[in-house]
Amino acid sequence: MTVTPGWYMALAAVLFVIGATGILVRRNALVMFMSIELMLNAVNLTFVAAGRQIGLIEGQLSVLFVMVVAAAEVTVGLAIIVAVFRRRSTASVDELAGMRG
Amino acid sequence: MNVDYHALAPEIILGITVLAVLVVDLLRIPKYWTAVIGLVGLFAAFVPVLTLGFCESLDFCTEPETAQRVLFGGSFVVDTFSLVLKGLFLGATAVALLLSVGYIEEDRYWQGEFYFLMLCSALGAVVLASSRDLVTLFVALELVTGPTFLMAGWRKGDPRSNEAALKYFIIGVLSAAILLFGMSLVYGYTGELTFGGIRAATAALGDSALLTIGVILTLLGFAFKVSAVPFHFWTPDTYQGAPIPVTAYLSVVSKTAGFVGLLTLSYQAFAELRDVWGPLLWILAALSMTVGNLIAVRQDDIVRLLGYSSIAQGGFILVPFGAAVAGNVTGDQLEQAFFATVTYLLIYAVMNMGAFAVVIAGANRLKSTLIADWGGLSSYAPGLAGLLALFFASLAGIPPIAGWFAKLVMFSSVLGVDSGWATALAVIAVLNSVVAFYYYAKVIKSAWFDQVPDTIPAAELRGMGRAVAPSLQFALVLTAVGVLVLGIFPNLIADVGDVAKTVAAGF
Amino acid sequence: MDVGDWVSTPQNWVFLVIALPMLFAGFKVVQTSNVVHAVLYLVGTLGGSAALFILLGAEFVAWTVVLVYIGAVIVLFLFGIMITRAPLGFDVTLSHPVRIRVAAAVVAFVLFALVGGAMLAEFENQTIPEAADATRTVEIGLSIFDRFVIPFEVVSVVLLAALIGGIVLARRDPAEEEEAGVVR
Repeated sequence: MTVTPGWYMALAAVLFVIGATGILVRRNALVMFMSIELMLNAVNLTFVAAGRQIGLIEGQLSVLFVMVVAAAEVTVGLAIIVAVFRRRSTASVDELAGMRG
Repeated sequence: MNVDYHALAPEIILGITVLAVLVVDLLRIPKYWTAVIGLVGLFAAFVPVLTLGFCESLDFCTEPETAQRVLFGGSFVVDTFSLVLKGLFLGATAVALLLSVGYIEEDRYWQGEFYFLMLCSALGAVVLASSRDLVTLFVALELVTGPTFLMAGWRKGDPRSNEAALKYFIIGVLSAAILLFGMSLVYGYTGELTFGGIRAATAALGDSALLTIGVILTLLGFAFKVSAVPFHFWTPDTYQGAPIPVTAYLSVVSKTAGFVGLLTLSYQAFAELRDVWGPLLWILAALSMTVGNLIAVRQDDIVRLLGYSSIAQGGFILVPFGAAVAGNVTGDQLEQAFFATVTYLLIYAVMNMGAFAVVIAGANRLKSTLIADWGGLSSYAPGLAGLLALFFASLAGIPPIAGWFAKLVMFSSVLGVDSGWATALAVIAVLNSVVAFYYYAKVIKSAWFDQVPDTIPAAELRGMGRAVAPSLQFALVLTAVGVLVLGIFPNLIADVGDVAKTVAAGF
Repeated sequence: MDVGDWVSTPQNWVFLVIALPMLFAGFKVVQTSNVVHAVLYLVGTLGGSAALFILLGAEFVAWTVVLVYIGAVIVLFLFGIMITRAPLGFDVTLSHPVRIRVAAAVVAFVLFALVGGAMLAEFENQTIPEAADATRTVEIGLSIFDRFVIPFEVVSVVLLAALIGGIVLARRDPAEEEEAGVVR
C-alpha cells in the first residue's frame, strides 16, 4: 500500500481541524488569522491531491485562485488589524466588547 | 476563441467604471464627481442587461443558438435568472451609492476610494449571478465580500467601526475557508467543477459520506454569508458599527449574493442531493426566523433592530428551500419554491433599502439611532415619519405595500407540498410573522404616537434642522415608489420572478 | 503490502518525513504563546505543503506557494506584528481557560474523525497514477486565458481593491491625531 491521495487528504483534514480549533481557542487576532491560513493550506492540499487523482489540471488551477484570494485577504485583514490595534498594545480580541445586545 | 462580448457587456462596463472612478479620483475636482461617474456607470451597465433580456425583439441583437448564453465551458451562463439578479444588484448598488453620498461628504472619510470599493463589490455580485462553476462562484463571492470588510471599517477613528470590521473580517474568512473545504471535497469526489458536471457525476456515482460532508460544509459557508442562525453572531455588531450606508449595502447586496450562491448550488449542482440540503436548510430557516425575531423584540437601537430583522427576513427567504425536505415533491413545486425565493429577494431588496434610507435621514437629523429618541417624529417631521411607517409596514407584510406579496408567495410555496415537515415550517413562519409585526409596529407607534423626548434640540422641532441631502431624497422617493407599486401591482414582480425560473428547470 | 514493503517504497518515507513535521508545526502554530514563533511554525507548515505539492507533481503550484505564501504573506504577518506592537515574548493570557480548550479539543477530534474517516474510506485503495508529462505549467497558462479567464480577471480586481482599500485603512492620517468626535 503506497501513499494514496486518501492519505494526503487525511493530512489535509487534520490541518483543517487544527486550524478550526485555533480559531475557537485563541484570542489573539493575528494567531486567529494564522489558523485561517492553516485551513486554507489544507484546502490547497485537498485540491491538488484530488486533481492528481483525477488527472486534470483543474485541481492545480483552483489552488492558484485560492492562493491569490488568500493573499488579498491577508492584505485586507492586516490593514484592519493595524487600524484596530494601532493604539492598543495588545492584539487580543477580548478588548473589543464595545457592542452588546 | 469566440467570445460573446454582448453577454459580458455588463461586467466589462462595470470594470471600465471602476477604473474611471479611480482616475477621476486623482483629479482636483470635487469628490462627488466620483459618485456621479459611479452612478453613470451603473446605469450604463444596466443597458446591456435589458438588451440581453429582450434580445428577440431587438434588431441588432443576435440570438444565440441555445436558449441561454453559455461561455467558457459552462462556467459562466447568462440566462434570465442571472439577468434578473444582475438588475437587482445594479439597482441596489445605485441606491446604496445615493445613500452614501450625503453621509460620506460630511465627515472625515476617504470618498473616492469608498465608491471604488463599492463598485468593485458590485462587479463581483454581477459576475456571481452568472457563475455556474465552483471556482468562479468562490472568486466572485470573494470580490463581493472583500471590499465590504474594508468598507465596514471606513470610519477609522471610531472604535465601534473598527470592531465591526474586525469581527466581520474574521468570520468572513472563516466562512470562506469552510466553503472552500467543502468545495474541495465535492471536487475530490466528483472530479467536476461546473454545476452541470457535478449534477451528472452525483447522479452517476451515488451517495457517499465524503460528498455529504462536502455539501454540508459548502452550504454552511454560505449560511455565514446570509446570516443564518447559528452563524449570525457577526451581524448585529457589524451592522451597528459600520457606517449605515455600508450596512444597507451589506444587508441587501451581500446577503442576496449569498442567496444566489445557495440557489444555484442547491437547484443545479446538488440537485440530486435534496435529502442533504433540504433538512439542513429547513433547520436554518426555522432557527433564523425564530431567533432573529425573538431577539429583535428586545432591541432599542433601530439599526440593531434592522440587523436582527434582516436575519429573520433571511429566515423567511430560506423557507421555500425547506419545501425540498419532502421526498415526494414534484418538479413543479420545486420551481415554485425557487420562484418564491427569487421574488422575496427582489421585494426584500427594495424594502430594506428604503428602510435604511429612512434611518439614515432620521439619524442625520436626530443624531441618534435609539428608538426612544425617535418618539413623536410625526409632530415635527411628518414626511419622514410617514416614510418610516411605509417601509416598516412593508417589512411586516401589510397589504397593499410590497411585503405582503413576498410573504404570500413564500407561504404558498411550502403549503403546497405534501409533507408534515413542510407544513410545520409554514406554521413556524406564520408565528414568526406575528412576532415580527410586533416590533415593526413598535417603531411605527413610537414615531407617531409617543411624546417627543427632551433630548431633541428645539431647532429640530421647528423644522429648521439639517436638510436631507438631495441624493438621499431621490433614493427615498425611488424606494417608496417601488414599494408602493410592487405592492399594488404584484404581477409585475411575479412576471420577473417567473422568467427567472430557468435555473430550476430540469427536475 | 505488508510493513516491510511499505517501508521500502521511497515515496512513503518521503511522505512521512514531510508530513509529520508539518503536523507538528501546524499544532504548534495554534498552541504556542509566542506570536513570532507562531509565524515561524506557519512557515514550516507551508514549506511542508510546498514539498508535498512537488511530490504530487504540481511544481508550479509548489513554487507559487513558496513565493506568494512564504515570501509575501508571512512577511506581511511579521510586519503586522511589528506595527501592532504585539508583545514579543511569551504571553500566557492569550488562551481561554482549560474547560473551553477541552471542549474545543473534543469538537476538533469529532470533526477530524468524520472528515478523515470519510476521506480514507473513499480513496483508500486508489494509487496515484503516473504523471504522463514532466510539467503542467503550460496547461495552467493556457487554461488561465482560455477557460478560466473570468476568475482570472475577477481575481485581479480583488487584488486591486485589497491594495487600495488596505492602504486607505492602514495609513496614519494626519487628522487622526486630533481625535475629534465622530459624527454618526
